[in-house]
Amino acid sequence: MTRSFVAILTLLPAVSASAAGGGAAVPLDAKPLFGDQSLLSFLTNSIFVALLVTGLIVWFVRGAMKNPQLKPGRKQNVVEYIIEFLYNQVEKILGPKVGKQAFPLLATLFIFITVANWCGLLPGVGTIGFNEHQEGWSTSHVETPILRPATADMNLTVGMALASFVVWFYITIKEVGFWGFLVHIFGPKGGLKGGMGIALIPIFFIVGLIEVVSIGVRPVTLSLRLYGNVFAGENLLHSMGSLGSVLGMKGVINFLSVILFQLPFYFLEILVGVLQGMVFAMLNAVFIKLSTTHEEGHDESHAH
Amino acid sequence: MGKILHDLGIDTVKLTAQIIIFFIVYLVLKRFAFGPVTEMLEERRRRIAEGEENLKQIKDNLSTSEAQAAAAMQKANADADRMVKEARDAAAAAGESERQKAVSEAADIIKKAREASELERSRIMAELKRDFGRLVVDATARVSGKDLDDNDRSRLNSEALAQIANN
Repeated sequence: MTRSFVAILTLLPAVSASAAGGGAAVPLDAKPLFGDQSLLSFLTNSIFVALLVTGLIVWFVRGAMKNPQLKPGRKQNVVEYIIEFLYNQVEKILGPKVGKQAFPLLATLFIFITVANWCGLLPGVGTIGFNEHQEGWSTSHVETPILRPATADMNLTVGMALASFVVWFYITIKEVGFWGFLVHIFGPKGGLKGGMGIALIPIFFIVGLIEVVSIGVRPVTLSLRLYGNVFAGENLLHSMGSLGSVLGMKGVINFLSVILFQLPFYFLEILVGVLQGMVFAMLNAVFIKLSTTHEEGHDESHAH
Repeated sequence: MGKILHDLGIDTVKLTAQIIIFFIVYLVLKRFAFGPVTEMLEERRRRIAEGEENLKQIKDNLSTSEAQAAAAMQKANADADRMVKEARDAAAAAGESERQKAVSEAADIIKKAREASELERSRIMAELKRDFGRLVVDATARVSGKDLDDNDRSRLNSEALAQIANN
């Protein structure tokens, strides 16, 4: 029993890093599982975890909603509770009409990111893999882990940010039209009309250009924020795990220090995991809200 | 820029693979979770609204029924009061009628009794007069010692009756 417990503990990032006897060494990028020259070179450890996360979500959702009942079972109740909560949040920000269109994307973002972030905290993620120098499997000196948190890969965060950008653009054009979109960006703000409105056109044009840059940067900020948080979390857990060794602790003391130093940060990462999911989804909701909100002046002109 | 992308491991093929994975999750959730759950929630909301509407209707019906029952009870009470009053009035009228009838019958009886009494008295008076006349005649005949003829008898009777009538 004790041996099993210790074996599981060695799969935690911190314990593994500590056993390696050095600081954290989480690589910036995801590594291919079958080498760079293989036909499956695209299958990185991060994509592998993303597939596992997808499988987990599909399995749970299919199990819960296989035979939906008006009087829900336990699993169905959980799914309904999450979806209803998310729907209400989205509806509060975007209103019933736009909220209904944007909800599937925003809810998918939240659920996928949160599950992926939490899966990154499971024992074994980042701690089981290959060591090219030792030529074999390793749980202590891992250079290419088999499992890497899916959201600690820029490809996924950029992919989700681009998908969000496309959906944002589609909903915006659908709601306000292309001309309305241009007016929204470059047109006079604050309902300015007449001579003052015309006089300020150059300023609003420059403001519009800044707005375009800000819109263009959104996918970058979204993806970097999520990647940075998760990647930093991985590094933090590895660093905390190796802190005992760095401080010169040995044996059982070192082992206990690994657990004690690391434990609070696991709870922090659980919180960060759900918060980052919420931030990613809510920021997209706010972007959609900003571009689909009709100003009073525009409303009047539409009404006429 | 290229170095940053390379350092971060951003690659077109991997990026496409991740987008496909995200798209699969999106489709699965939309098909198996968001659609059925929102439909289910909508259905539940509709049923709750329907139940509340039914409850409201039942309450309305109940209050209407209570009002109708109260009105019926009030009407029944009023009818009962009216009927009791009518019965009392009828009983009083019947009693009065019976009393009047009894009074009338009593008056008749008294009248008849008076008439019978008067007749009896007349008969007795007539008998008395006849006896008195006969006594007067007999007494006169004995005192005078002569036989009285019919004229004497008739005169003596008339005089005796006249005296009785005067007294």
